[in-house]
This record gives sequence, structure tokens and C-alpha cells, in this order.
Amino acid sequence: MAASLDEKIIEELRFRRERAWSIYDHPNLIRAASVTIFLAAWEFYGRRTDPLLLTYPTAVVWAAVQLLRSGELIRQLLLSLASLAVGFGASLLLGVGLGLIMGRSRVGEAVLEPHINALYATPQVALTPLLMMWFGLGFEVKVIIIFLFAFFPILINTAIGVKNVSASMVEVGRAYMASPRQILFKVVFPAALPFIMAGVRLAVGRGLVGMIVAELFTAITGLGAMLTLYGNLFETAKMFVVVIVLGLLGVGLIQATQLLEKRMARWKETERAVN
Amino acid sequence: MALTALEEQALTEINLSQAKPFHLTEYLRLVRVVSVVVFLLLWEIFGRDVNPLFLSYPTAIANAFVQLLASGEFERQALGSLKVYAVGLTASLVLGIFFGLLMGRYRLVEYLLDPYVYALDATPRVALIPLLLLWFGLGDPAKIAVVFLSGVFPVLMNTFSGVRTVSSSLVDVGKAYGAREGKIFTKIIVPAALPFIMAGVRLAVGRALIGIITAEMFTAVTGMGALLIRYSSAFATDKFFVPVIFLALLGVILSAAVEASQKRMAPWKETERAL
Repeated sequence: MAASLDEKIIEELRFRRERAWSIYDHPNLIRAASVTIFLAAWEFYGRRTDPLLLTYPTAVVWAAVQLLRSGELIRQLLLSLASLAVGFGASLLLGVGLGLIMGRSRVGEAVLEPHINALYATPQVALTPLLMMWFGLGFEVKVIIIFLFAFFPILINTAIGVKNVSASMVEVGRAYMASPRQILFKVVFPAALPFIMAGVRLAVGRGLVGMIVAELFTAITGLGAMLTLYGNLFETAKMFVVVIVLGLLGVGLIQATQLLEKRMARWKETERAVN
Repeated sequence: MALTALEEQALTEINLSQAKPFHLTEYLRLVRVVSVVVFLLLWEIFGRDVNPLFLSYPTAIANAFVQLLASGEFERQALGSLKVYAVGLTASLVLGIFFGLLMGRYRLVEYLLDPYVYALDATPRVALIPLLLLWFGLGDPAKIAVVFLSGVFPVLMNTFSGVRTVSSSLVDVGKAYGAREGKIFTKIIVPAALPFIMAGVRLAVGRALIGIITAEMFTAVTGMGALLIRYSSAFATDKFFVPVIFLALLGVILSAAVEASQKRMAPWKETERAL
């Protein structure tokens, strides 16, 4: 067989394709070493530092076990997630709805655009004290702050997505006597979906930030409130637990959105967020 | 296009005159102006009826703006905020670009650092604010740390992916002509990655602004964020809107400035999007 002949020639000419062992072929080994050394150094120096200021990894693990066992962490996490779900759901509905209007109607766009741009340019976090004045410190204000943080990426991406729908697709729909409603839901919406999903992905991250900001300032319930509480008590290990949970939550939510994005808008998954 | 008399006649006969009926889409600029004017008028009218503790109105805000400017209070706090912002942002740009370049060029650095970069990037930075306040106190160092952490990751991630996309043939040509590593960085990699870096800078400018406001709101001692908290706690709603509007304008001006310099510095690839 030719293959064995090739093999033989390679053997004879010492063209073996084996390379010397290289650390670069094992990036996870480097990563693991880096993380291990970091954690070990942290443990070592952390134990010598004032525990009010800096903690160390085993203390964080222990604090996590305590918080899980008491049920405190789960309870606050659920409270946070409930406000996130309501606020994000509202921004999704209104963002896509108004985005469709702004994308389809030039008059609607002209009416809404100045206000949207002004609100979008304002750092949303600066509005939180006002919202707290208006809506108090409860669940309601958290939902509204989350809504405000997540709303604009969805709205703006939807509007741009709708404007980018090719006119010929809409015309084909019209030529086949589709009603305006059918054109909206069967042509425009699916065509704009990749943009909308990109906006949703941005909005998830911002909604999470809104949730934390709201909870930090109202400081009554939720993970953000736990951060404030433990910060005031100088319980650094417990603060780290909350920070890590929030980090994992961020990664998990964004991964979930990306998965959803791929499933729902498979035909154009390379579309980038329009920021 | 001039029409012949015969054509004119034919047009009038079959009633196909080119005068179109009035249509709103031709007056979009007018619609925009009317929308804003109506909004401001309604706000003024209803705002005067509402308890001034909760809602202000445009003329009261304009009045408060003049007052605050005259007292010099606003200027002092704004300058304090801007100083901290400038220091933190500069640090995040310098370190973000530096580590981004190293991570993009050397795989060892990449594998050593990327676990931390991804972990910290995924953690909502606001969640770190209580921890940073614990470590750095309530003064400028804590604020600088918050601004730095808010701004560094967009710059670092964009620089990193920018360097990774630099075509290796460009680098090979440089090497073939005997360029040293320093020259390869300054003459090949940085210019080629510049559009990405600038996109990161643009993101960082906005995020750092949010960072400084949040940090100042949380410490509530000095700066624009502290003004927001002070005026809202005092129910001085008219004064509250002054820093909000100032911050919105600042955000718009800063991002426009970065965009302009992006076009100047990297005109060859200005369509490059933020990652």
C-alpha cells in the first residue's frame, strides 16, 4: 500500500512529525499552575493579615458552607433573581415593542428618539437616588432600576435590526397580500431577531449590574444588600462569597443568553451587538 | 425635469399631478422639535402642580443650575470628580494596553493571566465597590481603584483580541527585515491593533464614568455622585437634576471625543466594532 511506503520513507528520512514536548501544548497546565500559586500565596499572606481587611481562600470556602447551610444565601439569591426576572421581562417586552415601532415608523422614531437618546446618554446609575425617592426602598424600585438598565440595549438593537430588514423582503410579503400584522410578525420580527438577541445579551449583563446597584443602595434584601451588610460588619470572607456568586451568576446568565441566541437566531449568529 | 406642454396636459387630464398630499414623514425634524417642546411644556405644567419634593420642573432646574454655578460648589465637586476620573482612566488605559499587548503576543503571559482576567471581567464591578471601600477607605484612592477596575477590562480585552488578529505575515516580514522585538511592537503590532484598542478605549471611557459616579454615590463624601446623594436626601429635586444633566452631557462629549480621535488615529479601519 502507498500509505505504508510513505510511512517507510518518512521513517528513513527521519521526517517523524513528533515535536519536542512543549509547555504551550498544555495551556491548562500553565493556567492551573498560575491559579494554584496565586491561591497558595493568598492563603499564606491572607492568614497573616488582619482578618478584618483581607481573608484567605479556606476562610472563604468555610464562609460559603456556613451561608449555604443557614439558607441565607439561597434566600437572598432568590429575592434578587425575582426582581431581575420581573425587571428584565418588562424591559424585554417594552424594548422590543417600542423598538419595532421606532424601526417601522419614521414618525414614531422622530417622536421618541430625542427622549430615548437623552435617557440613554444619562448614566443610569445617576438616576437611582431619584427613583428611590419616588418608589421607596422595596421590590418595586429594584424592578424599575433593573428595567432602566436593561431597557436601552434591547430597544436600540431592535430598532436598528428592524431598520436593517431588507425592503425587498417586506415587498415580497406585500405582494403576497400579507396583512401589516403578518408582515410585522412573519417577516420583520424574524429578520430582526439576531439584532434583538444581541441586544438581549448586552441587556442581561446590564440588568445584573442594575440589580446589584439597586440592592447596594436600598440595602434591604438581595445579594447586594448582603454585600453592604457584611461590608459594614467587616466580614470579608462572606463578602467574597457574595462577590463570587455574583460573578458566577454573570457568567451563567450570559452563557445562557448566548445559547438561546444560537438556538433562536441560527441563521445569522455572527451578527454583532450594535452598541 | 421639464415637461413638455403635451405631457403637462396629459398629466392634468389623468389627474397625476406631482403635488403630493401633505405627509408627516417629510417633516421629521419638525416632529422631533415638537416632541421635545411638548414634553418640556407638559413637564413644566404638571411639575408645578406636583409637590416640589418629588418632582421638579424645567425652569426650576435652570434656576438651580445658575445658583449652583454662582456658588462655585458645583464647579469644585465636578473638578474633584474629573481629577479622580482622569487618574483612574489613565491608569486603566496604560495598564490595559500594556497587559493586552503582552497577552496577545506571548502565549505564556496569556495562559498565566487569562483565568484572572476572565474571572474579574465576568464579575460585575459594582459588586467590588464595598470591598474596595473597605481596603482603600472613603477617599480618592478607593475611587481611583473603582474607575481603574471599571475601565481596564474593555481596554485589555480589546487590545488582546486586536493583537491576536494581527496577521502573522506582517510580523514575519518585520522579522525577515531584521526588526527587533521592540520595533515589531511599535511599528507593526500597535498600529495594526489600534482600531481595536480605540474601540476598547471608547467603551472604557463610558464604563469609567459610571464607575466614578457609583463610587462617589456609595462613599457620599465628595464629587458629583456625592452631590446626587446629598440633593436627593435633602429632597432638593431641582438641584438633583443639575449633576444628572451635566453627567449626561459629559458622557456624550467624552464618547464623541474618543470617536473623533479614533477616526484620526485609525482612519484605515474605522468600521471596526467593539468586541
